Amino acid sequence: MSKISAPRSNREFIEACVKAGDAVRIKQEVDWENEAGAIVRRACELGAAAPFMEKIKDYPGFSYFGAPLSTYRRMAISLGMDPASTLPEIGKEYLARTNGEPIAPVTIDRKDAPCKENILLGADVDLCKLPVPLVHDGDGGRYVGTWHAVVTKHPVRGDVNWGMYRQMMFDGRTMSGAVFPFSDLGKQLSEYYLPRGLSCPFATAIGLSPLAAMAACAPSPIPEPELVGMLSGEPARLVKCETNDLEVPADAEIIIEGEICPDYKVEEGPFGEYTGYRTSPRDFRVTFRVNCITYRNNATMTISNMGVPQDEGQLLRSFSLGLELEKLLRSQGIPVTGVYMHPRSTHHMMIVGVKPAYTGIAQQIAQLAFGSKLGPWFHMVMVVDDQTDIYNWDEVYHAFCTRCHPENGIHIYRNTTGTPLYPFATPHERKYSIGSKVLFDCLWPVDWDKTNDVPTLVSFKNVYPKDIQERVLANWTTYGYPEVK
Amino acid sequence: MNQWEVFVMDMAELAEGKDIEISIRTLNPGVQKYTYKHVRAQVSSSLDKFPDKLQVRMGRGQLSAAKFSIKVIEEIRRLPPQYS
Ligand SMILES: Cc1cc2nc3c(=O)[nH]c(=O)nc-3n(C[C@H](O)[C@H](O)[C@H](O)COP(=O)(O)O)c2cc1C
Ligand SMILES: [Mn+2]
Repeated sequence: MSKISAPRSNREFIEACVKAGDAVRIKQEVDWENEAGAIVRRACELGAAAPFMEKIKDYPGFSYFGAPLSTYRRMAISLGMDPASTLPEIGKEYLARTNGEPIAPVTIDRKDAPCKENILLGADVDLCKLPVPLVHDGDGGRYVGTWHAVVTKHPVRGDVNWGMYRQMMFDGRTMSGAVFPFSDLGKQLSEYYLPRGLSCPFATAIGLSPLAAMAACAPSPIPEPELVGMLSGEPARLVKCETNDLEVPADAEIIIEGEICPDYKVEEGPFGEYTGYRTSPRDFRVTFRVNCITYRNNATMTISNMGVPQDEGQLLRSFSLGLELEKLLRSQGIPVTGVYMHPRSTHHMMIVGVKPAYTGIAQQIAQLAFGSKLGPWFHMVMVVDDQTDIYNWDEVYHAFCTRCHPENGIHIYRNTTGTPLYPFATPHERKYSIGSKVLFDCLWPVDWDKTNDVPTLVSFKNVYPKDIQERVLANWTTYGYPEVK
Repeated sequence: MNQWEVFVMDMAELAEGKDIEISIRTLNPGVQKYTYKHVRAQVSSSLDKFPDKLQVRMGRGQLSAAKFSIKVIEEIRRLPPQYS
């Protein structure tokens, strides 16, 4: 593999984005209450440059970086690629890097770790000292964690997890968050800590390198510290926490250390979510007690503002969920051409292209997809053939509307795992994470006669002889049409 | 006078004429704005009955038109002692 030169920290990333015209420096003072959130939201809805807000009301010395990865250009920059790279190119690069050998992180000395430049302990610990934004008006609170990683470790197996699970400031020493039962942290808590009544040490890292953030929200089975190494082509640099045994990215902007309480819950939410709604209501959720805060000089807090498309919740999760499913299907020998989730589906629909090699291949794909670790996050799988361009919604939609038989092509799976965030789910289903799923099989049945039963696709590319196609293309402008790019 | 806000799923949670236990967040300006306290309090729909103001949001953030006055009787510490 050629040497990767990806931004190694949030700061290097901001620099690279500014240079490419993909971030703007905002010099005038911005209010942490709604104004910063509204800027980020508008930037997301316009697909605009990421706002780097250098002056925050009440919080001299702190800054915000919003919408860090809400465009494919910024995703390309984060991977050290040409910003103009296409989505299939970015996808290919992700697959190439994450199919290699895991790269273990290294631990560095705390005196070399920028995140230790300021340390708050004991009575000094107060989340109100950080510029925690009110991201959307009407949210249940100010959110500390919107683009971050919650670091934990399984006390017996020792595996480390970095996950992006939203965290609300309840008071100066308490946060609450939505940790779904099927997430890695949710499973750690229900399997180990809760039954024993033990508190679970955690560390929240904010202002990560973009690839560390990408790893924290990727549904990969590879432990995230190693995944970052693979994505960036070099070991992640970690440093020991002040008050527990966990290790955190040394160049993160802000670290919040503490413990998850097994026996104490405070309210969390509502919050603007990736589906484009506030769906999960206020409720008592997982509660984090804060024991220590460390941060860099001139720390930058990262903000993701989830809502209608498109933000990093949709863009990045669609990207990694699709590619992780592609890996899974290939590992089972299924002849897929690719897997794509359109960000506008708010990662609810998997579009899978496959060579229709045998009967039931679409159902096999759907069962693997829904049955995998990825399954709770989407409820629709659409399978099209290998002639259909999965990235071209016009082609996929045409295939769906013409080839999916209303009785034989639609398969419903009941009583599966859902999330409390599905806007269409009943309140009861949301409360218990009950899901249901649907497969849209848009393949011609294998037992149809290819010549006499399967309709012929009537398109320029499919029905005209090659020489006619070439002649028409060559003469297109002489006919009087403008050139087609 | 302090300004507070509460989230409820049902207006019946704000029963009048008796002590209730609720989580309220401060709307007073400053860096503590939107932080919560869990309190025992009395609320009233007559706005001049109690010293502080209380506004209400429903479970998904919708601001209610109903307004209350509130008297915070005491803060209730529910946090188990091992975390203090
Ligand atoms: C901005 C953002 C916010 C998220 N918030 C949550 C959350 O509150 N709870 C949750 O379980 N997952 C949340 N996710 C999804 C997880 O980050 C994702 O499932 C990730 O893969 C979790 O890692 P795990 O597989 O190690 O559990 C969020 C993702 C993003 C991009
Ligand atoms: Mn994980």
